[in-house]
Amino acid sequence: MIFLIMIYIVIFLLNVPGLINRKEWRELTVFLVLYIIAFIMGLMYTLDVPIPSPMEGLQYLIAEVLGIKYPKN
Amino acid sequence: MNIEKGKICNMQLLFLIASFVQGSVLLIDFTVGITEHQTWMVILAGLVIAIPFFLSYITLAKRFKGMNVVQINDMVYGRFLGKVISVYYIFFLMMTLSFNIRDVGELHITFLMPDTPFIFLLAVFAATCAYAVAKGLEVLARISHLFAIVGIVVPISTFILLVDQMNFSNFLPLFEVPFIKMFHGTHIMLSIPFGETIVFLMIMGSLDDTEHMARNALIGLLIGTTSLLVVSIRNTAVLGNTQAIWTSPSFQSIRLIDIGTILTRMDFLIGIAQTVLIFFKCCIFFYALVTAVSQLLGLKSYSPLVLPLAGIEVIIAATVFQSPVDHASITQDAGIMYSVPLMFLIPPLTLLIAKIRGLPRPERGKGA
Repeated sequence: MIFLIMIYIVIFLLNVPGLINRKEWRELTVFLVLYIIAFIMGLMYTLDVPIPSPMEGLQYLIAEVLGIKYPKN
Repeated sequence: MNIEKGKICNMQLLFLIASFVQGSVLLIDFTVGITEHQTWMVILAGLVIAIPFFLSYITLAKRFKGMNVVQINDMVYGRFLGKVISVYYIFFLMMTLSFNIRDVGELHITFLMPDTPFIFLLAVFAATCAYAVAKGLEVLARISHLFAIVGIVVPISTFILLVDQMNFSNFLPLFEVPFIKMFHGTHIMLSIPFGETIVFLMIMGSLDDTEHMARNALIGLLIGTTSLLVVSIRNTAVLGNTQAIWTSPSFQSIRLIDIGTILTRMDFLIGIAQTVLIFFKCCIFFYALVTAVSQLLGLKSYSPLVLPLAGIEVIIAATVFQSPVDHASITQDAGIMYSVPLMFLIPPLTLLIAKIRGLPRPERGKGA
């Protein structure tokens, strides 16, 4: 948890001052949105909160709902 | 306006494509369990079927000179549908990148560093990729020949060192594997090493000269395929049908190298080579991902997105599959199905629509 917070502080300091100095507000907004998503996902992983896998959802949709799958053996 | 300002030459494209395809050498293992001793056949079949689609990617890049796939989608399909297709492309890049990052983690956990925390391996690897991507496409292109050399030298040298242990009757009987399994194996080969070259639609727009692009890209594809074939033939000739039961046939065959009891336990060589090659493949995927997202959102630069996207990719890679078995099972089904329209339907369709509508119009006006 401490490592996660330290890493994200470093990422913030590496990017945000430069973006503010260059007045790149659009880039700053996108950066902050992705940064928050990445931090929340990292936090969930650290706290052992289950993160849904997109591939398991796709596997269910393609193989079970649509029935598109190769025969096993 | 294309987000990438750097330019690469045709020779660099050749090495980029060659080392990208060589980066999939570990992923032959997904096919080995299905097609056993006929894996070399599905590699060749995959290549033959992939070439027309690969040429459609090149034709698209040539037709829309200087543009990347997000710009092409916007121009051909309009702003709304174009963005929907670009989001599909970005989803594919995100998922495939996470699978490849996970592959490196699984490789190291299983064979090289079993006591290291999985997330640590993924984070260090993703951070290295992020560093390389932040340096830009030109830097990646300038060093691509070194990766291609590793991808050629390691399979060939291990092949030579294992010649005395090879039994070429392991390839017999031919055509024993049922057609549906061959079809499945060909689909895996078609999607994973060859279809994934669609990522170059984000890169080909940065070529300084498109005149010899098709020839160089095809040579790159053939060099990459040769490495895959050498590895597949080596594994089958050394291990025979037992290759289907090993977690990594390449590691197992390399462990058998024993030259005068001096040259032994050379599996570390495969570990290093595969890590290096997957690293390069991940860099190309990561570069395409950050530039595609930046282009879609109309940003001036992609560099602020590199680290947050690396953080997201690490967590997706750590959680997308529950185990290596789950990884192989899902990749052999949904993993190759969901990308079929993106790789084999949308590019030829885009080309057809562009031809019918006479796009891109300003270029046509110049030529007339």
